[in-house]
Amino acid sequence: MAQSNFDRRRINGPEESFLPIFDSDEEEETRWKPGNPRIGRGARDIRPIFLKAGLINQANGSAYIETEKTKIACAVYGPRQSKSTTYNEKGRLNVEVKFAPFSCTRRRVPIRDAEDRSVAVQIQQALVPAVRLELLPKSTIDIFITIIENDGMEGCIASGSVAASAALADAGIEMLGLVASCSAAVVGKEIWLDPTEEEGKVSSGTLILAGMPALETITSVWQSGSMTPTDAIKCMEACQERYMDIHAVAAQALLQNAQNT
Amino acid sequence: MAAAVSATPSGSNSAEQDALKALTFQRLHPRTYLERFVAENVRPDGRDFGEWRDISVNVGSISTADGSALVRLGSTTVVCGVKAEIAEPELDRPKEGFLVPNLDLPAICSPKFKPGPPTDEAQVLSDRLNEVLVSSGVVPTSSLCIEPGKAVWVLYVDATCINYDGNAFDATLLAMVAALKNTKLPKARYDEVRQKTVCSRKNREPLQIGRLPTSYSFGIFDGTHLLADPTSFEEPLLDTTVSVVVDENGGLTSVMQLGLGIVGGDDVLSKCIDASHDCWQKGRRDVYGAS
Amino acid sequence: MSSDIVLPGQPIPIPRGPMPHVGNGLYSRDGTVRASLIGVPSYAGSALEIKRTRPRPPAPDSIVLGLVTRLSPLQAVVSITVVDGVPLPAGEEFTGVIRVQDVRATEKDKVKIADCFRGGDVVRGLVLSLGDARSYYVTTARNDLGVIFATSEAGATMEPVSWQEMRCPKTGKIEKRKCAKPEGM
Repeated sequence: MAQSNFDRRRINGPEESFLPIFDSDEEEETRWKPGNPRIGRGARDIRPIFLKAGLINQANGSAYIETEKTKIACAVYGPRQSKSTTYNEKGRLNVEVKFAPFSCTRRRVPIRDAEDRSVAVQIQQALVPAVRLELLPKSTIDIFITIIENDGMEGCIASGSVAASAALADAGIEMLGLVASCSAAVVGKEIWLDPTEEEGKVSSGTLILAGMPALETITSVWQSGSMTPTDAIKCMEACQERYMDIHAVAAQALLQNAQNT
Repeated sequence: MAAAVSATPSGSNSAEQDALKALTFQRLHPRTYLERFVAENVRPDGRDFGEWRDISVNVGSISTADGSALVRLGSTTVVCGVKAEIAEPELDRPKEGFLVPNLDLPAICSPKFKPGPPTDEAQVLSDRLNEVLVSSGVVPTSSLCIEPGKAVWVLYVDATCINYDGNAFDATLLAMVAALKNTKLPKARYDEVRQKTVCSRKNREPLQIGRLPTSYSFGIFDGTHLLADPTSFEEPLLDTTVSVVVDENGGLTSVMQLGLGIVGGDDVLSKCIDASHDCWQKGRRDVYGAS
Repeated sequence: MSSDIVLPGQPIPIPRGPMPHVGNGLYSRDGTVRASLIGVPSYAGSALEIKRTRPRPPAPDSIVLGLVTRLSPLQAVVSITVVDGVPLPAGEEFTGVIRVQDVRATEKDKVKIADCFRGGDVVRGLVLSLGDARSYYVTTARNDLGVIFATSEAGATMEPVSWQEMRCPKTGKIEKRKCAKPEGM
């Protein structure tokens, strides 16, 4: 649990430091136990979403999304000239994700790692089918995502995809439709939507679905952990029922922003 | 609903055309553009030379951090979070903890920054912020001791810029100090038997704050004009930037220069110091709030 | 009306009559016309479109403004900063190239690049094509295209005297450039 990297480009602390260890607990009574219903909301309830477009005025398009304890900022730059030696008839979509050092329970070192890359790839997969890249030859669209607070990796990927889609629309990039995304977890015999970090830990498997509700098309499905195929289908159906609501929130935020400018 | 189509003619109105022409001129001849405004004693965003943009400070909204703050200085937006970890103190300083501040200027905040390791600019700013936090004694490192020689607190003070419209230094110092003031550490005791520190989840204590510095940065344009709180458009056109740090009693803590140009003479520095004190007096002294 | 703003993916109701040509910012799929931008659809002639207001990359027939960054006997490299009247954000320029055969319409084989452009000049050009992987191909072979702003060796802003000469107001010296015809002449 120690962190030990000396980075000459930054101010460094001691070679090793450790996360505080807490007294055993003070928390036992409130912790969820198998067989109990979900704490705090219904199994199919998602956390309320707050989304605002256009907060980052230095970028071509931007969106900020908050779902209780997950807070994500997204900016879109471009279309920019691709730095490529080969001629590309279709534009490219480049997604980069950064977790702020204070965004997770354990402090994250600012060096990029495989987890950042994996989240970026999942978001990119959710978005690419929705963007009309054939209209942007030789160009690259850069999407930068900063996760300010993280309460569940699945929620980050789903919310990050929604914010990125809103930011793309805000940037005037032509799209086939807005992308909405929802996550689900299998906990015991139940399906819970939009799991938090704690809930993700007690689940046996999770699933993230992304698509364009306006076109009734799915753009990406990502399943991890273990679940029966029946449960996987149930997760997908539950996500699809909810992601219309998520799409409506994004649409409302973009309309409001467009009316104010 | 009725067809959402309007049959307006395709010419845009002349006010839009004029605005685009002005933007084009600004893009092609930025220096001349700024010179023309300065000649009228005003800046492109309408401010006087000595005027700061509006500041807003929000604390405590990030639950994964032990203390946090979000600062907006005009449109420049900086988020800062404090994470506390435990480490062994240095051998020659057994009762002192560590304060590790860093500022990240990532690609998200401006088209000027590309993804990759910290640029020179970010490194210099982190360095200067470190100097100010340490030299003004915001958090006395002796207050971070848990068990002399065995366990001390390490406070990682990480700031990330989300939107860069100039003057990251003033915004970040504000964010870092506000985040530290918002920080609560779990009560910790060193368990001799297990040779470990154990913390309480329920009992948290606010950090001991020594000083509350604020900083005031000025850009020097054309050798003579002092532009307070420069924007990202003005910054590349400046000769250099001078930052004045003032403590919670209005006393001068330090004066530093960021950039390679010539500062231009004693009177420039004293003007900066006077303007800073003025700004502190007029409201900045309360920026960290009562709590 | 602000309630007329449509979002990407939203279907656009088409009035009865002949199907209008689907233009910019819209697309057609399975017989339904949908928006692909945020905006209000409007008619440009017989085409239905949603206007693009954001900075956009150069496309064939775009009028561009650029800064000359490099010269060689065969071409002038420009850093394109304004496309169709919309300035690009700082740091987001596109690279364009004016090849020797695209400088002017007459006597193409007698062109000397150094007599047409200098580093730091601002040039108005027309995009010929997407070019290659590195640059867009730009032409200045028209009266209204060419250098619109240049500084003399003495550092003053020069005035155009003819389509191939500019004059420094400080020293009176003539420097050679391929000038654009100033507006209003």
